Amino acid sequence: MSESITMLAMFEDLDPTSEGIDKLYELGLGDDEMNVISGIPIKHTILGRPSAITYVSRIGMFGAILGMFLGLFFIYGIPYLYPLLVGGQPIYPVPQGIIITFEMTMLGLMGFSFIGMFVDSGFPSYTPKEYTPEISDGRVAILFSCPVADQKKFVDALTKAGAHSVEPAEARHL
Amino acid sequence: MAAIAKPLSRRHAEEHEDPREHLMHDPLPRGKMNEMVMEAMHETGWKFWVATGFLTLVVLGALVYAWYYLIMEGLGVAGVNRPVFWGIFLVNVVFWIGISHAGTFISAILRVLKVESRRPFTRAAELMTTFGLVQAGFSVFMHMGRVWLTYWMFPIPNERMLWPDFHSPLMWDLMAITTYLLSSTMYLFLPLIPDLAMARDRTEGGWRKTFYKILALGFRGTEGEWKNLTTAMNIFAFAIIPVMFSVHTIVSWDFAMASRPGWSSTVFGPYFVIGALHSGMAAVAIVLFLLRNTMKHYKYFIRPEHFDTIGMLMFMVSMAWAYFYFNDYIVPWYGGDVWAKLFQEWAEKGPHWYLWYIMLFCNIVVPWSILWNRKWRRTPWLLAIAGILINVGMWLERYIIIPEGLTINRMPFTWRVYVPGIEIALTIGLFALFFLLYMLASRLIPLIPVWEVQEGQEAHLIRKIGKAEISTLSDME
Repeated sequence: MSESITMLAMFEDLDPTSEGIDKLYELGLGDDEMNVISGIPIKHTILGRPSAITYVSRIGMFGAILGMFLGLFFIYGIPYLYPLLVGGQPIYPVPQGIIITFEMTMLGLMGFSFIGMFVDSGFPSYTPKEYTPEISDGRVAILFSCPVADQKKFVDALTKAGAHSVEPAEARHL
Repeated sequence: MAAIAKPLSRRHAEEHEDPREHLMHDPLPRGKMNEMVMEAMHETGWKFWVATGFLTLVVLGALVYAWYYLIMEGLGVAGVNRPVFWGIFLVNVVFWIGISHAGTFISAILRVLKVESRRPFTRAAELMTTFGLVQAGFSVFMHMGRVWLTYWMFPIPNERMLWPDFHSPLMWDLMAITTYLLSSTMYLFLPLIPDLAMARDRTEGGWRKTFYKILALGFRGTEGEWKNLTTAMNIFAFAIIPVMFSVHTIVSWDFAMASRPGWSSTVFGPYFVIGALHSGMAAVAIVLFLLRNTMKHYKYFIRPEHFDTIGMLMFMVSMAWAYFYFNDYIVPWYGGDVWAKLFQEWAEKGPHWYLWYIMLFCNIVVPWSILWNRKWRRTPWLLAIAGILINVGMWLERYIIIPEGLTINRMPFTWRVYVPGIEIALTIGLFALFFLLYMLASRLIPLIPVWEVQEGQEAHLIRKIGKAEISTLSDME
């Protein structure tokens, strides 16, 4: 297997970025061999990229179910374990149950969506990464791997597509 | 014959307007916007430190010391006594929860509805939510008196078997406010991550670099990171709206569930929610005015168009508030229940009758006189004044409902006019703390969501149709 190198191509705008991605496809790179890094979210269809998979909503839904059961335990489990009789009120009331269950369900949904975002993105991560601060200043980067032997071919193709620079990516502390 | 439209002698104000006056049509390079926001955070003049010093002194004296005194001496130093056991502490709880509502309303609902003018001020509003809830939480603890027994409210087993009663509206309140505080803090943090990454990239060494580096979590802006972040933000935007409505509805049930004249009302839930939005929107106008006039470069980001948006929302909410207030007023008045009638007469003709009139003036007359006019809505200082007066009115509304409402009950021999004691100092301290926290936050985190502004600017274009230049928006989300 040939040795590969990770490259970072910087673009000023979205149109040349999209063209650069086309060039990379033409040169034989697959979807998972490149990644777009940008200062704003870019709809995948603008760049002709597949939609990124996310598990955040599924993790959030799991949290909602967990929260619902926690709410049900609060309102029905606790009075079952330690009944508290107040002025002839029912021990297992439905209306109060709806309130507590709703709050806990929503807390579970949002709390787990938040955690899911961390888990799915691998946050927090303070190890060195291929990145340049120019990205948060508005430039769009394509991070890709290519065979060392073909490096020049890739650089030429991307430069022709409008890349501002195409250089070997250096992992650095953010 | 078709009607012939007569031409106006002069054009409408909006016809004079150049679309480029709008932030979305006046783009600057992202690097320049980053620089402006960072400069606003770092360049701190002497006035800022004088104001910070003053507020710190007020917080130390009126909040920290006064609370210490309250704890040491007991609730006797407060004005609460039979029959008014709920005084200004509870007024402050309802008031600050109300303030916190607008942050979520503006950020989440405008995000869901894709209202573009929201972009530069969502964070300023979200921050208000978090800090408002902090003040509300403090007020609850003050009201409790023996704060060290707070854990009795938690559902943890203890040797005295003091399990909390989840059938009580006060427990619902604890659950709802806790849910809201946690979720709104998470909702504040999510869209902040890319801006913290920007701040990390633009900071060279020092404690700030470490601070931003830790909070930015290693965010770079890859496709996967953006997808996860925007998905989580969308879930929050949709989920936090019903939570917001539930919180103030449950707050209203603390009162409405009791069979008291003036409190036992089926309309209290939506009436409280609208009241919360009324004071919260007004507070956003005040905060935006202060930010625009005290933070360097913020005049670029916060423009008259944003005050116009807030002003329209304030106008709409003030009309809704008037409707609900009238609804809550007329039914007991018409019903003729003697105790409900007595309470209404107490508010209108009792020893504090002027509070009722000031409330109506501030909550209805002020917004209706100012906010109908587009030019006035776009005048920041005028909107800020309207905001201050509305908040005075809304605070008084809660005062009339709580201590004034408790004065009148079905046992006339217990009637007593409430005279606040240490609550006044603590209230001043809470307001000072809110502004102090806000000022400190303004130097630590980017209050303008720069990436959201850039995203909006990328999506907006000016297109010439016929003789007019029209603003067009591409669906890039």
